[in-house]
Amino acid sequence: MNIYTYILRRLLYIFPVIIGVSFLIFILFNVVCPDPTLIMLGKHATPEQMAMLRTELGLDRPLWVQYFDILKSAFTFDFGRSWNTKQEIFQMIKNGAIPSLTFTVPGFIFSTITSLSIAVVVAFYRGKFLDKFFVVICVSMMSISSLAYILFFQWFFAYKLGMFEISGYEDGFPYFIPYVILPIIIWIILSLGYDLRFYRTVMLDEIYQDYVRTARAKGLSERVILFKHVLKNAMIPVITYVVIQIPYLILGALLIENFFGIPGLGSLVVDAINSNDFGVLKAMSILTSLAFIFFNLLSDVLYTMVDPRVRLK
Amino acid sequence: MSDKILEVKDLKVEFKTDNGIVTAVNGVNIEVYKGKTLGIVGESGSGKSVTALSIMGLIPSPPGNVAGGEIIYRGKNVLDIPTDEMRTIRGNKIAMIFQEPMTSLNPVFTVGNQIEEVLALHQKELTKQDRKDKVIEMLSLVGIPSPEKRANEYPHQLSGGMRQRVMIAISLACRPDILIADEPTTALDVTIQAQILELMKKLQEEIGMGIIFITHDLGVVAEMCDDVAVMYCGQIVERADVKTLFNRSRHPYTKGLIESIPSFDSTLGETRERLPTIEGMVPSLQNLPTGCNFQDRCDFATDICKGQNGDPLLEKYGSDEHMIRCFNPLS
Ligand SMILES: Nc1ncnc2c1ncn2[C@@H]1O[C@H](COP(=O)(O)OP(=O)(O)OP(=O)(O)O)[C@@H](O)[C@H]1O
Ligand SMILES: [Mg+2]
Repeated sequence: MNIYTYILRRLLYIFPVIIGVSFLIFILFNVVCPDPTLIMLGKHATPEQMAMLRTELGLDRPLWVQYFDILKSAFTFDFGRSWNTKQEIFQMIKNGAIPSLTFTVPGFIFSTITSLSIAVVVAFYRGKFLDKFFVVICVSMMSISSLAYILFFQWFFAYKLGMFEISGYEDGFPYFIPYVILPIIIWIILSLGYDLRFYRTVMLDEIYQDYVRTARAKGLSERVILFKHVLKNAMIPVITYVVIQIPYLILGALLIENFFGIPGLGSLVVDAINSNDFGVLKAMSILTSLAFIFFNLLSDVLYTMVDPRVRLK
Repeated sequence: MSDKILEVKDLKVEFKTDNGIVTAVNGVNIEVYKGKTLGIVGESGSGKSVTALSIMGLIPSPPGNVAGGEIIYRGKNVLDIPTDEMRTIRGNKIAMIFQEPMTSLNPVFTVGNQIEEVLALHQKELTKQDRKDKVIEMLSLVGIPSPEKRANEYPHQLSGGMRQRVMIAISLACRPDILIADEPTTALDVTIQAQILELMKKLQEEIGMGIIFITHDLGVVAEMCDDVAVMYCGQIVERADVKTLFNRSRHPYTKGLIESIPSFDSTLGETRERLPTIEGMVPSLQNLPTGCNFQDRCDFATDICKGQNGDPLLEKYGSDEHMIRCFNPLS
């Protein structure tokens, strides 16, 4: 079986998964959930008012129709209108995605590149001072609460030094830049410890393998061994780790967005929870599920391309 | 005798461990001659691999460290050669194959690629096409069928025996002076083992390299080697040519090893109930006894073996090149 048939086959497997996921979301939102109109109108609402709202939200239709709506929206991305603001939900999500991505994507790229490069260096100097130094840095960075970074950076760089904006956002390049620099730096700091620890373990796992000894016995230099032999093997777990993280970028970072007043998807979700906007929450659940399904598939496909041992069957 | 390519003199290798410094190799002397095979035998942990890795300059440091001695290769002390220059010798003039054929090859590169790599490194004058041809030539030399096809395969597509053949192809690609084979057949089943040994002998005749053959199987030694060094606790306890060692071994440890070889021919009259074994355990390198390291397991040990006159030395026994380290040699 070649790689294309494999990809096609995996794409076909997606459909039953989507049917299952949308069914779960349907159960959660439309069956298990107590009557949302009660929450929205308060306890003094009359049955007539509640019935009217139900009709308006389409909750009086047969359950299978409601399920079919959810399933359909997974393919058409037509999620209807917000229960709260009455805006087109897809438009709201699109508007929120851009501010989120303006800081999560640069943060993710920088932290991945930085931690991967440091991991290679650290693997080269394993057991020596530099290695121990970075291990200590990792542990300390992971032990400090993200809140501490946010507050300190806002106070020091934005307030004291006035280098960046404390909070807020402006649309369009390059206007958003002063607003996202601090969030990017904080994103990097928050992920660097975890990333570096993971990549270091991967590199060190490889460096003690027998094939490395063979490479040395061939007379290859440590540099070639590290960058050619070790790195190519290490790429296998690294690719999985990187690709699986991508859905979280789309979700934004709740805490960072809140503190920096960035109108991203994290904020969108928080607002929707506060205002009982089930329409938006349902749409976000569907979209994030789709993102996880897709990037899982992508990581599997990449895996088979990097590791010759994976047999396609 | 024929020309000497390598001489190891009083090699001493130490490892730093949590329980202090361990001397894994303590005063080893061996010589390798062109076209000849030197066997190194000994139980697990006796320092065979450490000796081999020292010759390659591949003792992991830390925790390891060559604490003394000389390794003379073609008149030069390998231990004094700078790393860069050592890399031009390693894999080129002195090559090594390992015990673990299943894991010694890099899983993500093709077999052909891994052979070609060593050619690209040491034989810069070859063009890409020359190297490709050489890869196929090496693969057929080590007896791999349809080498053109195999060259494009990955290690996991090959059996253990085939992978060890590939390792041999890599190690011999540059026609080395010395091949160090560290238990090359231990992980393979018996029929494959015989084929690999046969192959190594054939290639030695063709290329003329000296071989250091490490094993704990004396049966294999009898088949492969010209000279043998028996190691125990990081020291050589007996060294002789293969005939002398099997017919007139003088060290009780060697004798014990020879008697524990299963055999089918000597049992015509008497049926052996049980294979004789050497009783007891190898002492830990951390607390070796004073005197002879083998005293606790030796049937012939006397007071002198406890070290009242110092440790036993490796000394000539008789007239030939037979050396033993024993206070009470067998007669
Ligand atoms: N990397 C290391 N770190 C610490 N000690 C080591 C290391 N490598 C070897 N040693 C020490 O050297 C001793 C000899 O090891 P060596 O690998 O040479 O044994 P060997 O004779 O090859 O045994 P085997 O038949 O099991 O391969 C070991 O018992 C161990 O104490
Ligand atoms: Mg060994």
